[in-house]
Amino acid sequence: MKSSVRLRLGTVLGDCAASASRLLGKGSGASIRGQILTRVEPRAFEYLLDGRQVLAVSGTNGKTTTTHLLAAAVREDRGDKEVVTNTDGANLHYGIASALCKDLSAPVAVLETDERVVSDMIKFGKPAVLVFLNFSRDQLDRHHEIKSLAKSWRTALEQAGAEGPVVVGNAADPLVVWAAELAHSTVWVDTATKWNEDSALCPNCGAMLVTDTQAVPGLRSGAAEPVQPNTTPATAGSTAWRCPNCGLHKPETEYGVVGNEIRLPDGQLVDPKLQVPGYFNLSNAACALAAAATYGVDVPVAIRGMRKVTAPAGRFATAKIGSSQARLILAKNPAGWAEALPIAQSEPVVLAIDSVAADGKDVSWLWDVPYERLAGRHVICTGPRAQDLAVRLSYAGVEHEIIPDLLTAVDWCSRAKPTWENVPAPRPCEGQIIDVIATYTPFQKLLKLGGLR
Amino acid sequence: MNKIVVCYQSLLGLYGDRGNAMVLRSRLAARGFDAEIVEVEPGDEVPADGLVYLLGGGEDAAQISAVRMLKEDGNIFRAVDSGAVLFAVCAGYQIVGNTFTVGDDDQVIDGLGLLDVDTRRGPERAVGEILTHWDSPTGDYLITGFENHGGFTELGKGAKAFAQVEVGIGNRADGTEGAISRTNPKIIGTYPHGPVLVRNPQLADYLLELALGVELDELPSEELDELRRQRVAAVRR
Repeated sequence: MKSSVRLRLGTVLGDCAASASRLLGKGSGASIRGQILTRVEPRAFEYLLDGRQVLAVSGTNGKTTTTHLLAAAVREDRGDKEVVTNTDGANLHYGIASALCKDLSAPVAVLETDERVVSDMIKFGKPAVLVFLNFSRDQLDRHHEIKSLAKSWRTALEQAGAEGPVVVGNAADPLVVWAAELAHSTVWVDTATKWNEDSALCPNCGAMLVTDTQAVPGLRSGAAEPVQPNTTPATAGSTAWRCPNCGLHKPETEYGVVGNEIRLPDGQLVDPKLQVPGYFNLSNAACALAAAATYGVDVPVAIRGMRKVTAPAGRFATAKIGSSQARLILAKNPAGWAEALPIAQSEPVVLAIDSVAADGKDVSWLWDVPYERLAGRHVICTGPRAQDLAVRLSYAGVEHEIIPDLLTAVDWCSRAKPTWENVPAPRPCEGQIIDVIATYTPFQKLLKLGGLR
Repeated sequence: MNKIVVCYQSLLGLYGDRGNAMVLRSRLAARGFDAEIVEVEPGDEVPADGLVYLLGGGEDAAQISAVRMLKEDGNIFRAVDSGAVLFAVCAGYQIVGNTFTVGDDDQVIDGLGLLDVDTRRGPERAVGEILTHWDSPTGDYLITGFENHGGFTELGKGAKAFAQVEVGIGNRADGTEGAISRTNPKIIGTYPHGPVLVRNPQLADYLLELALGVELDELPSEELDELRRQRVAAVRR
């Protein structure tokens, strides 16, 4: 690893700032440490990556969980001390530098990487493996064109050429397939992706993509051929898609999600028995497993490691908030909400919405989330944009109430009596866990309220 | 059955635009009118007998595809000729105009030509909460929304501004927002999302009254009033 006096000095100063940040209760301090480090040594990101074997993970949704799963898989194989990772979701240049400077000796780095940092990661980190999960609408006040991010990945891979990473990509997402098209080597995963509202047009030529409504594991070969079932026995998987104009198509997949299991390249199915819930995380696990195996970790070892992951950066953690138990679920955009809603089964369920920069300032996206699925349930709307959510729920025909204060909304057990006649009394609360789905900012506040950060 | 036609949700539905359709259908139903939302996707024929046609927000490539398909289909032109309301938001507003530009090289694309406006790339992207004043049939009405557009829109002689800007950029930082056709006042374009008909129920009812040719009863909602109070207060802060 390249080193410099400035790098060491920056690390010391950054550590001091991080400690101060934690003492002040402002968070983990990862970001401020990285910012100061980078101020002192502008090439910290590059220097700290140099000489390590890097496995990177990016995409709109699932980055943090997939990074945790992948890091756990590699740790199971190589040992804890061999692996450094950015566990807290700080995934910009600062956050990555911050995580790396805390462990200068670990030879392997498993790094969650923001979509905007992928190009630099390819250039400076020279990752062995790079996982591309998905692209969907997210924070449109900041990222106006979903495609422009995919384009930056594509360009970086083209420039890296044979030096570039093996890309483990989600074959169900046309933008991912297009972004990874120029990688020198790819491993495709057929995920159980359900969100397809951001992939109507071919990212390559702009023509309308054609999808096959029958679930098929992948297109056999060639764009001119009709879409038909693959010869592998596995029958589930996402919908096949292709462009009738330029021929971009869903590639044949080596790994896939079939029911509750992961399909391996030899066709064998394994049940990962994850501790993180939902189909979406099964897809994340399939990508993490493919990445770990590509890196040389045996599948049983990787799965053993992945099973140890319970609450990546607080996602799906159960926290004691006030006198209530709450399971904290993060959902940042319509695709994430579509995956989160089926996971949240409690009665009532709390939904927390904010609209500062990290959440996206425009909450129009509430109308792209299928809240109609909550019909018949009781919803507590909270957070600064609770009123917007309440109106959305009214139009969806979902019974709800507004409790603006986050703590009051979540601390169900402290309430004297239920608001609705047909909801069981909140006491005794033992054993009852309230599911809370929150956008980024209220999620972080809840972690703090629950003593998880 | 009254049809609320959403033109190409998968292309022009980037900012929760389907919410506008849900609001119209729901407000019709509340007054006892049968109504359905028809989500037209690329490849489907656009119904010629819709009550209201909605075009929403989308990216450059989607705008080009949508214009091409709407022209090939032709039914949207027949529908507005026979009295349907066309309400176009953001990218949809741009494509109902004469021309708009896309891409890094500002390629000029012909729009549907239903509204006498032309859109070119602006000096900076307009992003943020917007507040405008609409001269509604019952007087000044605040329109609250969230604008997010890179194009600046100039009105021709055949169009007049839909509203006057209090906070935000609007058409091109000239104090105006949106456009109404002078030859067919049932064609309206505007920039705000929110969705705009969610936050501004009186505008939703105005569109329905235009389309039906009848006056509708009021639908008081404390929840919507509170939402409007909050958004107006937030943008004026």
